[in-house]
Amino acid sequence: MTVFLDNVLGGIALGAVYALVALGFVVIFKASGVLNFAHGSLLLFGGYLTAVLHDDLGFAGALALAVLTTAALAGALDRFLLQRGGQDAHSAHVQTIVTIGIDIVLLTDLSRRIGGDLLSLGDPWGDAVTDLGPVTVADSRLAAIVVSAVVIGGVFALFRFTSWGLSLRAAAEDLEAASLMGVRLGRVRAGAWCLAGALAALAAVFLAAFPAPGLERSTGLIALNAFPAAILGGLASPTGALAGSLLIGLTEALVVGYQSELHVLGEGFGDVAPYAVMLLVLLVRPTGLFGAKGAARV
Amino acid sequence: MNTTHHRRRTTGAALAGALVLLLAATGCSSKADDGDGGGDKSAGAADGVRTGPGIGAESIRLGALTDLTGPYATLGKSIVQAQQMWADEVNADGGICDRRIEIVVKDHGYDVQKAVTAYADLAPDVVAMPQVIGSPVVAALLDDIERDEMLTFPQAWAASLLGKEAIQVLGTTYDVDMIAAVDFLTRTKGLKKGDTIGHVYFEGDYGSNALEGSTWAAEQAGLKVAGQKIQATDTDLSAQVSALSKEGVKAVLISAGPAQTASLVGVAASRGLRVPVVSSAPGYAPQLMETPAAPALAAMLHVVSAAPAVSSELPGVRRMVASYKKEFPDSPVDSGVLSGYNAAQLMGADLKAACEAGGLSREDVLKAHRAQKNADTGLGTAQNFSDVDRPASVETYVLKPDAKAVGNVVNVEDAHTAPGVEEYLSGR
Repeated sequence: MTVFLDNVLGGIALGAVYALVALGFVVIFKASGVLNFAHGSLLLFGGYLTAVLHDDLGFAGALALAVLTTAALAGALDRFLLQRGGQDAHSAHVQTIVTIGIDIVLLTDLSRRIGGDLLSLGDPWGDAVTDLGPVTVADSRLAAIVVSAVVIGGVFALFRFTSWGLSLRAAAEDLEAASLMGVRLGRVRAGAWCLAGALAALAAVFLAAFPAPGLERSTGLIALNAFPAAILGGLASPTGALAGSLLIGLTEALVVGYQSELHVLGEGFGDVAPYAVMLLVLLVRPTGLFGAKGAARV
Repeated sequence: MNTTHHRRRTTGAALAGALVLLLAATGCSSKADDGDGGGDKSAGAADGVRTGPGIGAESIRLGALTDLTGPYATLGKSIVQAQQMWADEVNADGGICDRRIEIVVKDHGYDVQKAVTAYADLAPDVVAMPQVIGSPVVAALLDDIERDEMLTFPQAWAASLLGKEAIQVLGTTYDVDMIAAVDFLTRTKGLKKGDTIGHVYFEGDYGSNALEGSTWAAEQAGLKVAGQKIQATDTDLSAQVSALSKEGVKAVLISAGPAQTASLVGVAASRGLRVPVVSSAPGYAPQLMETPAAPALAAMLHVVSAAPAVSSELPGVRRMVASYKKEFPDSPVDSGVLSGYNAAQLMGADLKAACEAGGLSREDVLKAHRAQKNADTGLGTAQNFSDVDRPASVETYVLKPDAKAVGNVVNVEDAHTAPGVEEYLSGR
């Protein structure tokens, strides 16, 4: 039972971090119809900034600056590179490919800088742990759950109660109509990219914090596990991203935690599990858990 | 219609242009081959020494296929610097066979495709390679290296690389180290029949070879092995740790990278799974002692390695570390420095012996190498290169992290052959 609780708690924490990343995917997709393949590199960029700045600015200062800079970078990439391609569904496909290029450029430079190092982000939790009844859990994990919950709550409030959120939802519904209603699509888009960049930089902290040894060049790759989370949630649904992330986090933790019982599936199944779950969900619900039902005319 | 024709013609012209360029490029490079570093195979030099590729009248060229921009960049840099330092020392001393040593370094960034191209470019100009980083790279080049009779010291220790005439794994292989690790656990950590040990390992040659050794040794000792296969991208081993604690493991072996070792030990300590952990040599790096897991590593981790700690009292090691620190004051002294320098010295000994026997062609160097039955550079244990099917050494050191020592590691047990190793090797 302890092992089970251990795994569940670990899975929720992992899912909470994935949710930060997956929400970024979803916000960008909603606003611009682009699948951002450079998201992992943006995350690594944010983490790298926190790592190199924390000695001088302290953890909080470094994180704040990293979040702002990553947000600015993401926004600028969209405003000055992607938006030049136009605003319709066709150009969104082209822009998706462009993000692969951005990813390669960013990742190459960051890999060169990081090399084989393990960078500490100087987070305040260190290797401290808390006993919750029979379960021991790292403080950084609890922090990941709490911070993610607060931030995600904030983002949902943003969608619901601000004019930007309204514009975003309108744009996601029908670009042309939104534009005719006076929604400034360019700004809404850039804002969405900034938000996604900020979330990614924040997620980097928790992906590099204690149970992991620090930030390394492959940290961005871990974030790609949030990709199936976003897709199985329905890609355009923030609630779906949240549910999908928790599902993927739990699946990963449980499959690895019970690896020996799942021996029939072969070793190393944990790495495949997120994608297997995604496929299963899509088989049953082709548009994802919370995806918009396609209007089918007969 | 016209446009298509036109377009076709342009494509043809472009293709022809590209072909001309390509020919010009290869023409240039083959011309370069005839220069100082080239020389015909089995031709004689003015001093009567048989020469071959890489041997000029005044120079001996060695090659290095390394990773200076990929995941093993830190290791690559250490080895390159250490081997360059060795070349400088030898040259200051008059060189080998009255020739200066030159090392041609090519970076492949841990990309097999780039490495294959780099090898094709490098091979005609060098006599041997004292450094090749990356198991997949070595695997891709196996046939070429054998065909070219290019004596090669890979920085990889999987037993699958044994049995090749031109490829020399230096020191022990991963399986032999893991047998020593199991022996260390039963001898000093009180493991007994019926206990379970965990083994967390990378998928691929490295991990599977290590697992072979641990499984064999565990069977001999009446222990059970609970394996956990992971990938290089897994850096949070929380779930693996819960699985291992559920199995009730009394000790854990790990054959992965430094990041995985840090996570495993850090998480295990925080979960109260305070059992001894023994890592394969590539699973430890001095940088780990700057992570939050440092105290747990100091308390729980040991490392099995064919090479002694860089902080070791061996006179050869101390001398080498002192000159390296002088030459590269800003670089950390890690195990790569030691293994790189050791490989270069062994290569130097082969070249000297080949020269004394009258030839520096690849064949001569290879013959001289395989004749070495007791090669001792003073940087660890002596090695026997005469049997291609056996590891060059079966003696393993046990090390331990220590933030206060040079290279953040100290010797715990001197080099020794674990009981059962001979039996294991004869049964393989």
